Amino acid sequence: MRKIILLLPIIILIASCNKDDDYEPLLYDNHELAFNTPPGFPEVNSSFYTNKPTKYGVILGEKLFSDKRLSADNTISCASCHNRPSAFADNNIQAVGIEGRIGLRNTTPIQNLAFMRFYNWDGSKLNLESQPLVPIITHEEMASSILEVMGKISGDNDYVNLFKKTFGDETITPERIYRSIAQYEYTLVSANSKYDRVKRNEATFTENEMQGYHVFQQKCIACHSTELFTDQTFRNIGFPINPNSNEAGRARVTGDMNDYMSFRVPSLRNAEYTAPYGSFGQFSTLREVLDYFDNGVLEADNLDPILKNNGNRIPLTEQEKEDIISFLKTLSDKQFTGQ
Amino acid sequence: MKNLKKYVMLAAISLAFVSCSKDDDTNPVANEVRLEFKNTFGDTEIVLGGATSSTATKNTSEAGQVHHFSELKYVISNIRLIKEDGTEVPYNINDLDKGATIVNHAKPTTLNYVLSNIPTGEYKQIQFGLGVRTDLNTLDQVRFPNFYASAGANDTETMWEWGTGYRFTKIEGFYDTDNKEMSIHTGSTIEDDENGNHIQGVDAYRNIILDLPQNAAVGVNAPKIIIKADFDKLLSGTANTITLSTGTGMNDNATPNIHTAVQMTKFVDNLGGNGTSDLKGMFSIIKVEN
Repeated sequence: MRKIILLLPIIILIASCNKDDDYEPLLYDNHELAFNTPPGFPEVNSSFYTNKPTKYGVILGEKLFSDKRLSADNTISCASCHNRPSAFADNNIQAVGIEGRIGLRNTTPIQNLAFMRFYNWDGSKLNLESQPLVPIITHEEMASSILEVMGKISGDNDYVNLFKKTFGDETITPERIYRSIAQYEYTLVSANSKYDRVKRNEATFTENEMQGYHVFQQKCIACHSTELFTDQTFRNIGFPINPNSNEAGRARVTGDMNDYMSFRVPSLRNAEYTAPYGSFGQFSTLREVLDYFDNGVLEADNLDPILKNNGNRIPLTEQEKEDIISFLKTLSDKQFTGQ
Repeated sequence: MKNLKKYVMLAAISLAFVSCSKDDDTNPVANEVRLEFKNTFGDTEIVLGGATSSTATKNTSEAGQVHHFSELKYVISNIRLIKEDGTEVPYNINDLDKGATIVNHAKPTTLNYVLSNIPTGEYKQIQFGLGVRTDLNTLDQVRFPNFYASAGANDTETMWEWGTGYRFTKIEGFYDTDNKEMSIHTGSTIEDDENGNHIQGVDAYRNIILDLPQNAAVGVNAPKIIIKADFDKLLSGTANTITLSTGTGMNDNATPNIHTAVQMTKFVDNLGGNGTSDLKGMFSIIKVEN
């Protein structure tokens, strides 16, 4: 008996040797892509350093991102909701998954995510690599599973080649899928709007835009700060409440009552293209958002102190609203959105 | 490649021979331990039913709210048996496919869970987890395809997609005389950074420790341990006396805005103990049958 057991590793070794003989290693130039942090942007998420975008990783990620086979009935891909002309968001009130299933919240744009510390409206994820599984398995989104996805793409030669080029061998694993999608998303940087060009002295604001920028600095920038136009905090700003009983804002993640119905301050970049607005698309236009702030928001125990200290509103004249919207449109990046 | 398959077959056959020689032993070195879960309100076994069911078991909470369940599921994992000398015998604690189960009150077969190949000996205590430990709570379908499948099945729905974890308890039912809906789901939302430091979220996993009223003697016999899960504790627990309320306010807790983890934690502490002074929660041992 012992002899047989001793023989086993040897047999296995021989078997592996045979296998190696069939293997013709090919070297691909899967180099890291240049990645520049635009001036004034925050530090990248620490996960970026462990999953830097590479030439083939990004190609693979983009292919997965737009592959409808990620959904149970092969009808929607990531890109179905996160489409480029809308800054990788869409214009539905709430996200729409397979069979027209309606999700809990408004689709968030995918832009400048490399520089974010929290993902999703409630900050439930802290790195991009752990996010792709969520839409794949969620009933209201793709309603599939990672094994189902791996099964569907495993026979596809394009994928076989890309996995080999990206990771050195053709093995498809969940982690490789998640990491390549994240690599692609890291490359989606929007920093070439008129605002950016003004900052670089390559353009000038119109009178209205300039007025709007001034009002913005007085009345908006407390939350929409930094060159991302969000300070990445979570706040309850008294917007109309999503009656869906699954909604509690960030509190469902943290268990902290102070986070009840608090959401991540959204970036305002490309806001022109991402209507409707609010965590479940409460407002169809930017003007409606500003009118709401002007008229007064809902009271709440944990209403943001800035609103509490100002009578639960942000008073704005009609002219100021128009000017702010003019300014916000300077954050539109036509190169990024292909508009 | 064909050759490799042959060798693997050979290896499997040789291993089978090794196991066979083991079976020749006359004294069993191991046997089964059978767990049976009895889900109750107090001493009454629960009967599920819809909103207006006349057969469903009604319970009245300390706060005076009558309630009954239409659905009742919870996850048991990380099972350990403690021998009389204190030795811990873990049961596939790192393998959800082999060591975890979803108790679904509507499916009688799930009320029994058989631990196989438990070493012969006298056991004085059982420990298990209500829910799934954070390190295994990742919806890893590749590692644990069977558990993943049973959790995700349409009639089970014990997956918490947005948190990429499992639901640890899923209770649906009705409360008050007007049969308002109650929907209580628990699960962990914990997220650590790359160094393992806690960043956010709550841990809804609870370790349960139950002394056996008499030793479970594993050997010639396969003992059965009958465990009571008293869901009266849900609203009237050691940790919290809970009054259900329906609405979208931050203190409303009857429907899953109970996903507000603050409200959820109160139910978790009642069902699974608070992790410090109460390590039993709703669980107790009815008896051991040797």
